[in-house]
Amino acid sequence: MKTPIAWLRDYVDLPHDTQTIVEKLASLGFPVDAIEERPAISGVVVGRITAIEKHPNADRLQICTIDIGGEKPLTIATAATNVAVDQIIPVATIGAVLAGGMKIEPRAMRGVDSQGMLCSAGELGLEAEWFEDGIMQLDVGTRLGADVVSMFRLGDAVLDVDVTSNRVDAMCMLGLARELGAGFGVPVREPDTTVSYGGALIGGDLVQDGELVTDSFDSFDIKVKIESPDCSRFVVQRVSRVRVRTAKAWMRVRLALAGQRPIDNVVDISNFVMLETSQPLHFYDFEKLVDRTLVVRDARDGETMTTLDEADRVLSPAMLVIADGEGPQSIAGLKGGARSEVSAATREIAIEAANFSGPRIRRMSAALGLRTEASTRHEKSLARALTDIGAARAARLLEQEGAVVHMPRGIGAVVGEPPIIDVRKNQIARLLGFDLDNDAAIASLQALGFTATTMLTPELIAMLELEPDDIDEIASFEVQPPPWRSDVTTEIDVIEEIARIAGYDRIPTSIPAVRAQSIDSDAWRLQARVARAVAALGYHEVLTLALQPASIGDRWKASGVDVHSGVVEITNPLSEDQRYMRFSLVPGMLALPIDRMFEIGDIFAEYRGEHIELTTLVFMRRVATPRANAWSDDGFDALKGDALAFVRSVTGRAGDIVRATHAGWHPGICADITVEGKAVATIGALDPRLGAEFEVEDRVYVAQVMLDVLPAYVAPHYAPPSRYPGIVRDLAFIVGEHVAAAALEATVLGASPLVRSARSFDEYRSAAIGADKKSIAIRIGMGRNESTLTDADADAAIASTTILLQAEHGAIIRS
Amino acid sequence: MGLAEQLGALAGELTSALAGVGDMAALEDVRVAFLGRSGKITEVRRGIGKLPPDERASAGKTINDAIVALEDQLAQTQRKLARGALDAELATSIDVTLGATATRTGSLHPVRTTMEDMCAYFERHGFAVLVGPEIESERRAFDALNIPPDHPAREGFDSLYLGGGKLLRPHTSPMQIRAMESHAAPIAVVTPGKVYRRDAVDARHLYQFHQVEGLLVGPDIHFGHLKGMLTGMCRELFGAKQQVRFRPSYFPFTEPSAEIDTSCPACNGAGGECRTCGGSGWLEIGGSGMVHPNVLRNVGYDPDAVSGWAFGCGVERIAMVRYDISDIRSFIENSPSFLEQLA
Repeated sequence: MKTPIAWLRDYVDLPHDTQTIVEKLASLGFPVDAIEERPAISGVVVGRITAIEKHPNADRLQICTIDIGGEKPLTIATAATNVAVDQIIPVATIGAVLAGGMKIEPRAMRGVDSQGMLCSAGELGLEAEWFEDGIMQLDVGTRLGADVVSMFRLGDAVLDVDVTSNRVDAMCMLGLARELGAGFGVPVREPDTTVSYGGALIGGDLVQDGELVTDSFDSFDIKVKIESPDCSRFVVQRVSRVRVRTAKAWMRVRLALAGQRPIDNVVDISNFVMLETSQPLHFYDFEKLVDRTLVVRDARDGETMTTLDEADRVLSPAMLVIADGEGPQSIAGLKGGARSEVSAATREIAIEAANFSGPRIRRMSAALGLRTEASTRHEKSLARALTDIGAARAARLLEQEGAVVHMPRGIGAVVGEPPIIDVRKNQIARLLGFDLDNDAAIASLQALGFTATTMLTPELIAMLELEPDDIDEIASFEVQPPPWRSDVTTEIDVIEEIARIAGYDRIPTSIPAVRAQSIDSDAWRLQARVARAVAALGYHEVLTLALQPASIGDRWKASGVDVHSGVVEITNPLSEDQRYMRFSLVPGMLALPIDRMFEIGDIFAEYRGEHIELTTLVFMRRVATPRANAWSDDGFDALKGDALAFVRSVTGRAGDIVRATHAGWHPGICADITVEGKAVATIGALDPRLGAEFEVEDRVYVAQVMLDVLPAYVAPHYAPPSRYPGIVRDLAFIVGEHVAAAALEATVLGASPLVRSARSFDEYRSAAIGADKKSIAIRIGMGRNESTLTDADADAAIASTTILLQAEHGAIIRS
Repeated sequence: MGLAEQLGALAGELTSALAGVGDMAALEDVRVAFLGRSGKITEVRRGIGKLPPDERASAGKTINDAIVALEDQLAQTQRKLARGALDAELATSIDVTLGATATRTGSLHPVRTTMEDMCAYFERHGFAVLVGPEIESERRAFDALNIPPDHPAREGFDSLYLGGGKLLRPHTSPMQIRAMESHAAPIAVVTPGKVYRRDAVDARHLYQFHQVEGLLVGPDIHFGHLKGMLTGMCRELFGAKQQVRFRPSYFPFTEPSAEIDTSCPACNGAGGECRTCGGSGWLEIGGSGMVHPNVLRNVGYDPDAVSGWAFGCGVERIAMVRYDISDIRSFIENSPSFLEQLA
C-alpha cells in the first residue's frame, strides 16, 4: 500500500529519518517493499496574487504582483493562463529549487524583471495531470509566506507498505499510524468525527406519500432494507447542501501522494476516508435514487446496470447489489453505478458505509475479474464498527466543505462491545520463552488501543500474601481490543500483540532439548542412499517438470507403446502445457542432452478413480554410435553393469538378470534385476518406437526402480578367499543362439564342488560357428579351502563341467 | 704364476672392466665374464685340480675369499649405477600445469544437496526427516491447518487442483498434519519435498519447487527455541557469522508468526548496491511461528498441554544464494554446464 509518511504525520509524531520508520514498520510486521524518495524542493512559499497586468512586450505573459507575507510584494511574470487576483498559489522565490532540479534565478522576461516563479503541481513533484492545468491553487486562508514544502511535508518519502491479509484495519493511514504510535511509544491523534446534525431541522420530507417513513429523526427519508445475510450492517447518512468543486489542496496533495487521483471534493472525501480508516464508502446522488430506497440483495438473473467505469454489466444472483426502486445502483463493495453517480450538479448525497461478507466480495471480484481499492479491503472482512466510524468521518469532512449533515442510520447488526479476552499471564512466558512484567504487558496493549486490566492489584497481592510464583500462576489480564481490531478474539491473538510490540528481538534464543520420538527417517535416507549410489556411477542428477502437456501422452500412445492406466489431470491448469501429471520420468529426460543422468521423482497415474503416486528412480545412458550388430549391445551391457553395481550398493546383495518385457523398453533388450527372486529394477534399451516418436537420435538405455520395492539394505557377509592357490580357466562353448549365458553359468556353478565362480564374458558369432549358433566364453574359477588345487584336479572338474554343459545345453567346447 | 698372483690380476682386470660399465646390462655381462659358469674365476678354480691334495683346501678358501671380494666390487658398481639411475630420474621435470585429463564423476542436483544440508542440521538435533505424497487432500493441505474454505489465505496459495478434494500440495505442511495425526507428542520432524503452485514461470518463480518445513511439538516448546534452531540453520548454511532476525507476520497456521530474515551472505549485510538482497542487507528465507492452537486441536493435541513451532523455507531460494544463481529456472533447465559446475 502506497503510504506517504507526510500523511502518517497527521496522526502521530514520527522521527525525521525515513529508515528509522521503515525499520520500525518491519519490526511490527509491516515490511516496506519500496521507498519512493520525493524530489528535493526548497524556497517555495505561499503567496496571494494581489494584481495582474498584461506584459507590455509579450501577449502570452502576465505580470503578477504577489504578496508572500513580507514587506515587499514580488513581481513575477507568468505564462500560465489560470491566474486571477486573490488566488493563493505556491511561489518559487529567488534561489528556490523545484522538482527536476530547476533553480530559480532573477531574470528579465522580455524586459520585466521577474522575481521568482508561480508553481504548478508538477513543479512541486506531484502528478501534473492530476491537478490544475497551470498554477496550483492553494486553500484560501493559508498563511502567506508559509513554506509549501514543510506545510505539505513534500520532502517525506512515500513507502510501499506490505500489510498482511489479517490486518485490513491497518490497510490505511490511521491503522499504520496507530502501529507506529505503539511502536515508538507516542500518542496517536484520532481524526475528528464530530458533526452538528442539521438533518432533523432542514431535512424536510418527514412524510413521504402521506406516511412517516421512519420513527427517528435520522437520515429518515432513505428506506434501507437488507435482504442478504452477506451484508451485516449498512450505515446510511444523508448530506444536504453539497457543493461539488475542487477539493482543498491539503486533501488533494495527500491523495496524490498516496497514488489516488483527486477528482472533486465529494469523490475525494470518499477516497480519503477509505485510505484513512480502511472503510470503503459509496456516495449516491440522493435525488437520483428512485423511491429513495436502497435494498441490499442478490442481483436478479439477467439484471443489467452500467457501472462508473461505463461498463454495461449483466448481473447474476452471484452478485450482491444495492438497488433503488428501479434497479441496482452499485455492485456491493466493488463498483458504483452510473445512474446515481455524484456529478457537478449533485446537491444532496446519501453516504453508504456497509459491511459485507469478505468471502462473498472475493468471489464476486474473481467472477467479474474486477478488483478495486474497496474490494481489496472488503474481501478481507472489515470490522463492523468501521461502518459508523467511516460514515462519521465522511460526514465531518463534508461538513467542512459547507454541507449539512443528517444523523446517520445504522441498519442490520448492531456494533457490540468488542469481546473481553481472558489472558493468562503464565502463557506469555510459556509460549514466547521470555517474561514481561504486568505493567509492560498492559502498556504494550494499551498503546494499540486495547484496554487491559488485571484483577491482581498490588493491594490484592498484599492482602492475599501471594508469593511471586503464585502470582505468575494465577495472574491474568482482562483484555478488550479496540473496535476496529476484529482479528483479535482469543488469548493467543493477544499474546502475539504483546510479543509484537515488545519486539521479537527481545526474545532470547535457545536450543531445545528434543525428546526421543517414534517417527523414523527411512524413506528419506533411502532416497539419499539411492542418489549417492547412482551419482557414484558417473550419472548427473537432473530435475524435470512434473506437469506436462497432453502431447506427451499422445505421442507415447501414438508410438504404439502401451499406457496401462489413466493420466492424472489438473482441473485448473495455468496453461495447457501444464495440464497433466507425468506418468513416467522418461519423456522429460529424453529432452536433455546428457549422456548419463538420473532423476528421483514421483510419477502419477489414475487407476479405478484412485490416484497412484510412486517415487521412482530412472537412470539413463545415451549413446551416439549405432550398435555393432543385431545380437549384441554395448550400451545395454554398460547399463547392466551400472544397474548391478547400483543394486549391490543399495541392497547389499547381488542382483540376478532375468530376461523380461515391459512397456517402454525394447522387447528384445529388456531385463529385470532380481534380488532373491524379486524384481527390483527394470533395465533395457528404450523402445525404438518411443525414440522415433520423441525424435531422439541417440540410442537410449533406461533403468527404472520403484523405491518402494527396493529391499532394505543388508550388510553383506564376508567370505574369505581360500588360503591355497586356485586355478582359473577360460573356456568357450558353442551353443544354440537362444541359450542364455546365465543358464550356462548356472550349470557350471553346479557341475563340481571345486567350481567357485563362473562368469560369461564374451559372445562371438561367425559363419564358421554356424548360422543359429553362438560362442560363449566363460571364466571358471576353481579352488579348494583345505589344499592347493592341482592341474589334474582342475582337468577333472572341467571335464565333468563340459559333459554337463553338453547334456543340459548341447554345448560343444570350442577348440 | 701363483694362485695369489692370478687372483690379484683378476681383481685388477675386474676393476678396469667395471670402469667401462655404464648400465645394468653391461654390469651383468661383466659378472658373467668373471663369475659366470664359464667365467674367468672358473678357469682359476680348475687350477686347483693340478695342486697337491694338501694344498687344495687352502687354495679353495683363497679362491672363495677372492670371489667374495669380486662380488663386493660388482655390488659397489651396481649400487653406483642404481644411484645414478635415481639421480637421472630425479633430474627430470614435466610441465605440471598442462591441462588435466578430465575425470568423469556423477553429481547430485544442488536442490538435493541444499535440502540434505538443511535436513542434516535438524537430524543432528534429534529431528526425524519425513517425506510423503505430493497429491494431498484439501483437508490436510488447508482445513487442518486452520485455513477453512472461505479463508482469504486459501486463495493465496494458488493451488493446482485435481478434483474430488485433492490437490497438488502447495506446501509440505500436510506432512506435519500426517505426522501429528499418526503420532502422539513430542514430535520433531523436518519435511523436505516438492510443492506446486499455480504460478507463471519467470526468473524468480517456478510452479514446481521444493520446501523444507520443520515442526517441533512438546510440553515446553517456545518461540525462543524457534529462534535458536533457525539461527543455527542459517549459520550452518551460510556461515558462523550470519545474523538472523524475526519479523512479525501472518500465517493462519501459526501465531505468533514470523518471517525469518538472514543477513545477506553476498554483501555480509552491508546492503548498498548488492544485487542479491536488493540493498536491504537482509534476505527473507522463510516463514515460521508458534503452531496455532486450532491446528493442535485439529490433530487431537491439547494446546494447554503441548506447544510447538513450525517453519518453512523455499529450497531453491536458499540454493540461489548459496551458489550465486540469479535465475531460478536454472534448476530445471539441467544444462550440462550447470550440473557439472555444481557437482
